[in-house]
Amino acid sequence: MAEKEDNAFQEDDHRAAYVFNPLSDGTAAAPSAGAAPRPAKRRRLPSKKAALSGGSEDQPSGFVSAGFLPLFNGLESPGAVNLRRELFEAAWPVLEGRVQNVLREANRSTLDEVSTFLRAAEGEKDKIPAGFIITGPNIASQDLLFEQLAETLCKGSQTRFVRLRSAEAPNLKATLRKIIRDATVRVTGDNEEGDDVEVSVGQDGRRYLDYDLEALHVSLKLQQSRRVIIAFQDSEAFDNGLLTDLIALFHSWHDRIQFSVLFGIATSVELFRARLLKSIARHLFGAQFDVVQTGAVLDSVFKSAVAGSHALLRLGPSLLRSLVERQQDQVAGIQVFISSLKYAYMCHLYANPLSILLADDARINRELLQAEHIEAARSLESFKTHVEASVEARQLNHARSLLDEDDYLVEQILEQARKRGDYLLQLLRSLHLIAASGLISTPFTDLYITALSEGIDLTSEKASVLDPLQRLGPDEVISLIHRLLSAIENGSPELDLQGWESDGDELVASLSEIRDEVEALVEHAKDNRKVLKSKYSAQSRVLRTTVVAQKVQLSHDTATLTDEDKAFTEAIDRLAGLFSQNVNCEPVASLFLHEAWVYDSKSPYRDVFVPRPGITLSRALSRPNDYLGCTCCSKANGTVTATMPTTAVLYHLYLEAGALINVADLWSAYYALVGDESDIGMDERTALVHFYRALGELRAMGFVKQSKKKADHIAKLKWI
Amino acid sequence: MVRRKAPEREPAARSLRKRELPIDPYEVPDDTDSPKRHRQTKPPSTTTRSSAPQDAHADDASHEAASEAQPTVEPTPTKKRPGRPPKASFMNGQVATPSALRQKKVAETPIKLKGINGVDTPSRRNFADRSARRKSARALIDRVVGGAISDDEGEDGGIAREIYESSEDEEDEEEQQSQDEHEDPNPTTPSKTPWKRRKATRTRKRSPTPPRDLPSHEQYFYQNKPGLTKTSGNSLSSLDLLTHEEYFSVLRQIKDLHARDVQFLQSLHSESFPQWTFELSQGFSACLYGYGSKRSLLHQFATYLCAKGHLPQPSKIVIINGYVRTTSVREILGTIGCAIDPSYKLSSGTPVALAQALLALLSSTSTTIVLMVNSIDASPLRKAGTQSVLAQLAAHPQIRMVCSADTPDFPLLWDSGLRSAFNFVFHDCTTFAPFGPELDVVDEVHELLGRKARRVGGKEGVAFVLRSLPENAKNLFRLLVAEVLVVMEEGGVGDVAEGPAVEYRMVYNKAVEEFICSSEMAFRTLLKEFHDHQIITSHKDSLGTELLSLPFRKDELEAILEDLMS
Repeated sequence: MAEKEDNAFQEDDHRAAYVFNPLSDGTAAAPSAGAAPRPAKRRRLPSKKAALSGGSEDQPSGFVSAGFLPLFNGLESPGAVNLRRELFEAAWPVLEGRVQNVLREANRSTLDEVSTFLRAAEGEKDKIPAGFIITGPNIASQDLLFEQLAETLCKGSQTRFVRLRSAEAPNLKATLRKIIRDATVRVTGDNEEGDDVEVSVGQDGRRYLDYDLEALHVSLKLQQSRRVIIAFQDSEAFDNGLLTDLIALFHSWHDRIQFSVLFGIATSVELFRARLLKSIARHLFGAQFDVVQTGAVLDSVFKSAVAGSHALLRLGPSLLRSLVERQQDQVAGIQVFISSLKYAYMCHLYANPLSILLADDARINRELLQAEHIEAARSLESFKTHVEASVEARQLNHARSLLDEDDYLVEQILEQARKRGDYLLQLLRSLHLIAASGLISTPFTDLYITALSEGIDLTSEKASVLDPLQRLGPDEVISLIHRLLSAIENGSPELDLQGWESDGDELVASLSEIRDEVEALVEHAKDNRKVLKSKYSAQSRVLRTTVVAQKVQLSHDTATLTDEDKAFTEAIDRLAGLFSQNVNCEPVASLFLHEAWVYDSKSPYRDVFVPRPGITLSRALSRPNDYLGCTCCSKANGTVTATMPTTAVLYHLYLEAGALINVADLWSAYYALVGDESDIGMDERTALVHFYRALGELRAMGFVKQSKKKADHIAKLKWI
Repeated sequence: MVRRKAPEREPAARSLRKRELPIDPYEVPDDTDSPKRHRQTKPPSTTTRSSAPQDAHADDASHEAASEAQPTVEPTPTKKRPGRPPKASFMNGQVATPSALRQKKVAETPIKLKGINGVDTPSRRNFADRSARRKSARALIDRVVGGAISDDEGEDGGIAREIYESSEDEEDEEEQQSQDEHEDPNPTTPSKTPWKRRKATRTRKRSPTPPRDLPSHEQYFYQNKPGLTKTSGNSLSSLDLLTHEEYFSVLRQIKDLHARDVQFLQSLHSESFPQWTFELSQGFSACLYGYGSKRSLLHQFATYLCAKGHLPQPSKIVIINGYVRTTSVREILGTIGCAIDPSYKLSSGTPVALAQALLALLSSTSTTIVLMVNSIDASPLRKAGTQSVLAQLAAHPQIRMVCSADTPDFPLLWDSGLRSAFNFVFHDCTTFAPFGPELDVVDEVHELLGRKARRVGGKEGVAFVLRSLPENAKNLFRLLVAEVLVVMEEGGVGDVAEGPAVEYRMVYNKAVEEFICSSEMAFRTLLKEFHDHQIITSHKDSLGTELLSLPFRKDELEAILEDLMS
């Protein structure tokens, strides 16, 4: 069959590129397919644009629905499939919008600074204003920044903004051409296809070469604007000579066209300046701008997209940890993080039938849950632990009903949606309180991950919150309580957490009570000219030195506490008690049916975003049976057998060989394995064809190269 | 100085030593060894001997000769003078200032001189070991001389012994035997234990199998150890290498043992088509990697996508074959442009500008383009410029991209900027399917072996080329073939490297005789045509005579001639 197919599209296989035509199977019709329908299409361009804006919404969705397949071996009802699809379509765009918002906000201050600088530099006569924007090593995130810069700087003012990437600027001529085209095309507005020739015709009908800055000058004069901002996005990648030429050229035109330049710099301004000639650098007068560091951006993206209450799906702790680690260890851009996030959503809603439980109560009902859903729920790990726990707690009826009665289970399942909401609220409030208290300096990301994996329990040994809390002085206690109260009142916009004054009136009341009490004590102490202290505070411990028989003895001594101090100590204890009582949550894995709304599988993420092609390839070649599953090679178990694919055999020999391989020996080794006297009994020419093919493949995959050291020798290139 | 003296005294002994010593120039001189005794028995007489410059010169020369001739004594540690710049002193010596100072120098330098001169440089692989070995040798000797060895020194000695012997692996067993015997009767050998140890280490190191299961980096260093690359002198000369013709004719008859398994594997992969479609729809690009050709898998995927509304309408699938040697960005962009709007013509300009124009065109329509790139890591596409254009295309919302990668290092193609523009998801698609058009096996292998790549097409290729040429070109080629065959029959003319060749002048004369062409100009034009198709080669011999030859074997030539005559 493969052979037949081969013949079918053989001709196309030798062409560099072609339009795939499923009907013709690519034989004769394919080349002409492009040329046949030639009716005037140019005229329809505007109408097509209209169609695009109108029709774009339903088309992608049609595409998407085709992507979702019924699960449970195709038994899943269409309703459930649709629900999953709709869930995904509803959840992700919201989140994506928020993330984009966060990213844009993160650059805001840089943008303001840059535009202020450029505005201030407007009148500069001799020098070209230059903004050096330190973007950091991640070139992937630069795009957004420069896009925003273009938006901000072009807004209102008569300014042209040209973005240059090193790939687009191979030489001076091409660069100038691009600059002129970009700067003039914007003028003509939305007609992006406006012919350059038109633009470059001046008032007096003169025509200019498309790399002549005169053309730009004329066109700017027509528009009454004199300002052009050129942004070099990846300035490190530009050729030194090109930069020098461009700056010199800009400078000589400076009296007619007001150029400003922006450089995206990944390393440092010093290094950049070292590349320029002094005489050229003198033409520039500049300022340096820093962009918010990736870490900070990651933190806010994390808060809004992962931890925030808007996030429909929860990512599990182990996945999150590996995501965050990847951000920190490898310089993967924030875009990678967002893609991974999206992929997690896709995986969960695409492949987990129980993900329909993420829908709110109104959407999900008894009919939607098929027998398969219930079956799936019963096979969950958390279901088992829950049943076991209830058996141990002697709730046998509950356990039996869960196991036997579908309706009872469905009830429980539906109830968990509410429980999930409660849990998340509690989690976020606790985290928010901890963060607001300012008692520990752990980044929010870590805090969140730890809370998910281990829960929050302030009374446990590991928690390091209460200790600093107890050591606080009276003033700090008061300000802490203020902070907590305002946190409760305002919630957290970043996390999308509303204030919960009404829910937590008890907590609020007790907090205010403690605050009043402490304030009173402070007042009282002030009257007595004493300092209020608790038994935990450092001052209460006195180090006493006594000299006994010419030896110094050190002894700790607890200073006596006054009544006020005791009262303060008690207040602090109460505060700590209150805090630990209100700030707590369970680890997410302990919850019943958490699998439906927590996605914590690392493997698809790792496979899909961090591939290890070398390992994959060497595994395929060293143990082909893993993939082929054939009976003939199953006995090999890591060794060579004659039945293996030739490349695999050669790969084994390759591994055993040294850095230099004699092809003649390789051939005789191979032929000894498969040749006349072996089980396979291949004749020499056939074996040689196999051998050729395998050797060719090894070379194409970069395992070997020609060696000139000895005749018929090849050199080994890979040690995987 | 003794060293200098010794050869003069007994040249026979010197030459003898010279012959046997290179095997191991650092051999521990035991008490029976001569040089040491020489040194002791013959106290330095140099200073007294040479007082005149003339003499010193002669001395110098003889000394040089001696140093060349006698690698033996060099390592004898007692001679070493640390801290002297030996080269400088050697230079000084050459200037031949007749003074006491100079004489002194002459007396002292010889040891170092030799080493610096490089006359006696041992093979490069020994070089690094040298000083360590010298030191350990000295340590051993010191101990022997010192005589007294306490037990706690034993360990140090062991280490020194080990270093000293570490590069003696190649020594013969016999030799060792004799040494041991030699050692045995000697009662003064201070301790036997090191020798026992030595035997133990030797057996360990002699294990013929290379260490197994080393981590790959260790493996690298192990296999690249200097001196370890020993391969046999066998060559493929006895083997008749394959021609294209034979390769394909045999290939057609081969039945793949694993065809069914490969098919099954592919069907497994094709089960992920819906998933891939979904990923593509979400703005990801898919990259398939793993061993085996993924061309037919992608083709199936394209068929699947076309089948029933998996793509928004209107849509086009453009397949790019990265492995085709002529693939260029321009052609890719042209095809895409053609897919968007059949009347689209690429303007001139840089690829990046072209791509931008193309994307602008795409944005103005509602077409969705699916780019399928076979072998995105094939050499025609490897240039950074090409990859960035592809990334630029892939980043467009109306373009979805699927590509396959064959090499294990393909992620190196993209920096983080390109990577995020592509927004790849990777899938392990090991297919085990044989590479077809992706790989020109015969050329690839011949290039690997350093053989002159036989020209593509063989007999059929020539026939094909000739078919499109005028009649007298065919006649000329027939003439050439016939002449070359004649030369082959006679055997001899032309050098071996280029195969049998015929003289240009002679062929021209014959061509004129046969009215194939009338002027040399026309003759050249015809030949150029052949050159362009690589069906002839020309070169000049040592006398400057221009020779023409055909890159074919005899039987091929005969077949071609037959074709031409019929």
